[in-house]
Amino acid sequence: MASTSSAMIPCGQFKTSYRTDTTIFPTPVSRWLVIAGIVLLCVAPLTGWLSKYQLNLLIQIGYYGIAALGLNILVGFTGQISLGHAAFFGFGAFASAWLSNDWGVPVFWSIPLAGVMTTLVGLLFGIPAARIKGLYLAIATFAAQFILEDFFARANWFTGGSSGTLAQSFSLFGWAIDDDRSYFYVVLAWLVLMYVLGTNLLRTRDGRAFVAVRDHYLSAEVMGVGLTWYRVLSFGISAFYAGIGGALFGHYLGFVSAEAFTLLLSIQFLGMIIIGGLGSVMGTLLGTAFMVLLPETIGFLSQSLGDVFPALTTGLAFVKEGAIGLVIVLFLIFEPEGLAHRWHLIKAYWKLYPFSY
Amino acid sequence: MKGTTVTAAAAAAVLLAVGPAAAQGIFVGHLADYTGATSDVGKPYGEGVADALAYVNQHGGINGKKIEFETVDYSYEIPRAIATYKKWLGGQKPAAIQGWGTGDTEALVTFVAKDEIPYFSASYSGHLTDPTGKNKHGAKPAPYNFFYGPSYTDGCRALVQWAAADAKQKGIASPKFVHMGDNHPYPNAPKAACGEYAKEMGFGIVPPIQYSLKPGDFKAQCLSLKESGANYAFLANTGGSTISLLKSCETVGVDVQFMGNVWAMDENALKAAGDAANGTVFVVGAAAWDSDAPGMKTVREISKISDPSGNQYRAVHYMRGICSVFYMRDAMVAADKAGGVNGPNVKKAMESMKDHVPAELQGVCIPSTWTAEDHRGTTKVFIYRANSKDGKQSIEKIGEAEIERKPEWLGW
Repeated sequence: MASTSSAMIPCGQFKTSYRTDTTIFPTPVSRWLVIAGIVLLCVAPLTGWLSKYQLNLLIQIGYYGIAALGLNILVGFTGQISLGHAAFFGFGAFASAWLSNDWGVPVFWSIPLAGVMTTLVGLLFGIPAARIKGLYLAIATFAAQFILEDFFARANWFTGGSSGTLAQSFSLFGWAIDDDRSYFYVVLAWLVLMYVLGTNLLRTRDGRAFVAVRDHYLSAEVMGVGLTWYRVLSFGISAFYAGIGGALFGHYLGFVSAEAFTLLLSIQFLGMIIIGGLGSVMGTLLGTAFMVLLPETIGFLSQSLGDVFPALTTGLAFVKEGAIGLVIVLFLIFEPEGLAHRWHLIKAYWKLYPFSY
Repeated sequence: MKGTTVTAAAAAAVLLAVGPAAAQGIFVGHLADYTGATSDVGKPYGEGVADALAYVNQHGGINGKKIEFETVDYSYEIPRAIATYKKWLGGQKPAAIQGWGTGDTEALVTFVAKDEIPYFSASYSGHLTDPTGKNKHGAKPAPYNFFYGPSYTDGCRALVQWAAADAKQKGIASPKFVHMGDNHPYPNAPKAACGEYAKEMGFGIVPPIQYSLKPGDFKAQCLSLKESGANYAFLANTGGSTISLLKSCETVGVDVQFMGNVWAMDENALKAAGDAANGTVFVVGAAAWDSDAPGMKTVREISKISDPSGNQYRAVHYMRGICSVFYMRDAMVAADKAGGVNGPNVKKAMESMKDHVPAELQGVCIPSTWTAEDHRGTTKVFIYRANSKDGKQSIEKIGEAEIERKPEWLGW
């Protein structure tokens, strides 16, 4: 086909099948860029370019990014809302630690199993979505956050209660992966897998049903889309992603405790997908990177500011927190459609250069 | 998917210059809570640790070597403490750590044992006292954990002893004891062991009452306390929530003898609670600020590091922070002579201390003994009473207890 043999997208629409219409990579160049990016990420830790600190941030972006994609499937694609995502994230972390500690399941398997367990919990807490919408649903999912948080602090057999529980390190064929560099590959592999799955999910019948439910639930129902089923399913899938992300987080830190999974983290997940772009897979990752790197960058800048103006040192913590809030507000004013949209604008600018209009 | 590339590029570009610099000399990590749930007591203690470390550096360091230390405020969040620990381990390679809370310290027990890093916590949880793991109560072996002061459980036992004597004197036939605290590792630490001891001492045990570590309105808890008919309530939280609790209970009209653990009461909390705190007894683990012990001269010099005027009154926790640093210093000096300041050497030096008091701090720190089998540094407990009348507050020592070193109590 003409479109695949050339590096550029031809002017006009020449798509003659659904396959070409829903392709992930519109041009070969975009495909090669992504592959090159993954290869670059694979090579980067080996070369010693990255300090431990930078590696740590990339790993954070990895596990949060997986969980955030789950929330984006729920919020951005299905049009539901959840204030309990952090609780599912936590459930995954505890479940994986519990499976590997108490049942002797190798960590390699306990992570996907924890994802499955979290899916079941997500399906359960998604049931209210069958009947209620909007703000009422938000408060119903808020209940999930409360119930699970209290469960974490009390269920000694499962979570170790208020003292939390140790999570074993990942191992593969007897080779313990307990340093950041090798764990980076574990997270990267899961990230690629989950994002490929997520992208493909949206090209399937079920994915289109999600979007139909979001865009006009009445029309969707008239067309034969089972609203209840797809709403609850969306909660399940979203919880699966949260569970995988949480399990990766738990085995990375080596320790899981209830206080890490508060409402604040749920809100941060919402922040990630809103800043990244609702309904955009790539935007999810951009938004996650933004939310993880912003405090670090501003912390670094305010530190440098303190070196120049020593009088400011005591106020730095406040400057930092204030600046984070300000950046988020400004961002939402000037880029309400998220980073994914900005990325498309930048791409279009260069594509049309110098004849952009 | 394309975001991956962008992310990597952004991360690399933004953060090139941020990586931690490798430290020279002896690095000591200092985890403090200045903004979290326990910051009310974390502040005086953390300042004590930071001032003492600076003072040690000004006065010869470790046989001439400087201690490089970094104070990190982790806001009492366990994951942040662990992330900081990992960061230190990857960068500066600490020779020892001055830590803070029970949750994070207990979470790090297996890590520091594996990495051989002596960990001096401000948590006096009984679970940290068994270096070999021989206890029957399920505590993990904690070979690299040390703390200066009586364990929470021993502190509570001392208060129970005091309460038994008090009940006898007041003619209460069958006194009842209740544990009050948040559902958090720190207040939970002495719960089972001390409850068991109170039962042995003839107290009736009332089901524990839960109140948050974060100050709030605790009238509901006070009403439950009133209804429970308890005579003696052990407060296992820190100062901030104790203030709220005492005030709420005063409003509700609870007539119970409150007994605070080592972090539950101090001069600041007393001042804030006012008359509501009158009569509360609590555990103290070192000399108080207006003591005339010879070592207080050094303490006042140390205090001038962050308060050059020398006028600031320091709460009881400040002195324990100083003691913790000076025991570490003495162990490091000994380790340096024995071949180098590293984990195993510092541990060995700590474990050979017998009735030891740092030379400059005579009368301030309680003589402490650590062995390879037993990390209960001291089992001596000072009991103080808080007095508040007509707007005037004072603390007064009313007793001392020496808790038996029973082998079956190790790690509990």
